Amino acid sequence: MKITVSINLGGYSFDIDEDAYAELKRYLRNLELHFAGEESSSEILSDIETRMAELFRTKITSYKQVINIEDVRQAMSIMGTPEDISDNDGPSAGEKFSSPGYHRMYRDTEHRIIGGVCSGMGAYWNIDPLIVRIIFVVLALGGGIGVLVYLILYIVLPEAKTTAQKIEMKGNPVNIHNIKDSVKKEFDSVRKNMKL
Amino acid sequence: MDLENTKAQMRKGILEYCILSVLSRNACYASDIIKELKEAEVIVVEGTLYPLLTRQKNAGLLRYRWEESQQGPPRKYYELTDEGRTHLADLDKSWKQLVESVNQIRTR
Repeated sequence: MKITVSINLGGYSFDIDEDAYAELKRYLRNLELHFAGEESSSEILSDIETRMAELFRTKITSYKQVINIEDVRQAMSIMGTPEDISDNDGPSAGEKFSSPGYHRMYRDTEHRIIGGVCSGMGAYWNIDPLIVRIIFVVLALGGGIGVLVYLILYIVLPEAKTTAQKIEMKGNPVNIHNIKDSVKKEFDSVRKNMKL
Repeated sequence: MDLENTKAQMRKGILEYCILSVLSRNACYASDIIKELKEAEVIVVEGTLYPLLTRQKNAGLLRYRWEESQQGPPRKYYELTDEGRTHLADLDKSWKQLVESVNQIRTR
């Protein structure tokens, strides 16, 4: 047995399962963010809601009175994800929401040998971390100053933990598009490693 | 290069032209436009249509009126404006030229 929610979608009334409602709400919210930069965004969203309501109405019969999560997912695949809908002539909301490309130096602990200091510096300047490591080793051999500098940097530079920080480390704007790409890349590399 | 992405870009480019074409034959609802575009496989996901429709309306190429419906809230009924018709005629010419150009390159 499930709890249902009563919704007004495009002027039509539906009873919808609680979990389906949560997913639908998330989807509509994503679309809202996606179109936020556009003129008439509320009109576009309203049209989309109306269309989804039309799709849902075909699902309701005397035998099936409630919209469930399959219905919502099917409607979502028919309408498309924000990426599918994304067009490049209109101002992309993804770009509007990006932090203005803060370029900060972090410690890149994902690619570290000791503490990720050299990786982080390499990411910031977009050079091979190996070059930075060589410089440090040379400085360390030449009187130990390299070790001191390294320790200071290790303490001062924060670790790039979140996806947003990892993007900032390279100086790219943090927007939905880049975050999605980063997460996808990580996922793919984990998957490759697991395939051995 | 992402093949799907290239194909999607090609389709998106002609979508506005196709919308105007459909409406040039008769005024209709958004769902009718979707039906035709889907049948012709110009559109894959329906969501692509709505920002374009709104933009074209804002540009004065089409207009809508609200049609009452017995089964629920009123629906938008779209038709081409005169400006839309001129625009479409222009696009017709462009399309013919484009097809000729591409065919010339393809079949050399």
